[in-house]
Amino acid sequence: MSRWLSLLLALTAAQAVAHHSFAVFFDGDKTVAVTGKVTEFKFANPHGTIAVDVKGKSGKTEVWKAETNAPVILRRLGWTKDSLQLGETITIEGWLARNGTHYIRMRKVTRADGSTVGTPISFDPKSDLNSK
Amino acid sequence: MCAALALVVVAGCQRQAQPVAAAVAVAKKPDLSGYWALSRTASLPGKDFLDSLPPNTVFLNDTGAAEFPIGDYGGLKPRPAAIAAAQKWKPEDDMAVSTACAPPSIVYAMQGPFPFEIHQGTEFIIIRLEYFDLVRIVFMDGRPHLPADAPHSKVGHSIGHWDGDTLVVDTTHLSASTITNNGLAHSDNVHVIEKFSLSADGKTLTASQEFEDPEVLKNRGIRHIVWNRAEGEYIYPYECDPSFGANYQK
Repeated sequence: MSRWLSLLLALTAAQAVAHHSFAVFFDGDKTVAVTGKVTEFKFANPHGTIAVDVKGKSGKTEVWKAETNAPVILRRLGWTKDSLQLGETITIEGWLARNGTHYIRMRKVTRADGSTVGTPISFDPKSDLNSK
Repeated sequence: MCAALALVVVAGCQRQAQPVAAAVAVAKKPDLSGYWALSRTASLPGKDFLDSLPPNTVFLNDTGAAEFPIGDYGGLKPRPAAIAAAQKWKPEDDMAVSTACAPPSIVYAMQGPFPFEIHQGTEFIIIRLEYFDLVRIVFMDGRPHLPADAPHSKVGHSIGHWDGDTLVVDTTHLSASTITNNGLAHSDNVHVIEKFSLSADGKTLTASQEFEDPEVLKNRGIRHIVWNRAEGEYIYPYECDPSFGANYQK
């Protein structure tokens, strides 16, 4: 059975807020979830990076990248450098980059079995939480 | 004979009393040593703090993760040249391979959501930040600041003293760096005064961070920062990977 892209685009109304490079680079009003196979996982400061190959409805593979909070923060939320394995299927939820690219600020990662990697980021674009 | 002996005993006791008195005086200072993590809930100051701001000083409400969008400086009044420079700033410039691992100065670094350790001695106090592995030395031995032409750095030159139970840290010689992470930068003549106080139960550390930079700002800024002590925690190495910057380059 071929794998299908599950791409959910949820537009959530949120007040414009002042945040970090988050406010500059990401749209707090646009959340997205993408599912695909991990092709890269860098657990390094200033931000970690996850890349996934996502198969679109046309069958064409799209590369999506997610930027994570700093590992110094993720580590305290249960993440390690071995949290993700190349080739495993995950769903990344987060906020879309403002420049229209396939780039996300990660909020949560869910494995194929439904389990969550670490503790999801409790970040609300409307309030003062981890965006650094 | 007995009187002479008594005098010797009294003199000896007096000589012993001096180091004991000195030890008691030092021991009475709060011990700020430990691991400190930014409080998520307590960094908004109370009315007393806001009602007693120094003249021409604005409270900067960006402690923690919250930051101002481009063009908003939180009440700071930059001079025209500083505004022009901020308007030219592009976020991608700070996300290049050559800049992604450039640390900010302690003006910005101290209010971020990263923990630090304090190691308190009598002649100096070490503040070791997890953020970019910055290490601050606060000299407590009464020395003055370095000459004006001494090297500048992102941690600067800090001298400290106790004002009652409040640790006052005076810092100069900071390299130019961002104030608000949206293009507004302080010069290398910025002057920072921090005042740290420990709660009675020793679990909460509160600081004000005042800064002035007449070359850049028409007014002064002040932040209010609160940290909670955590036992059994450690600072991790930051070990920045500059290749992250490649994600922002086309």
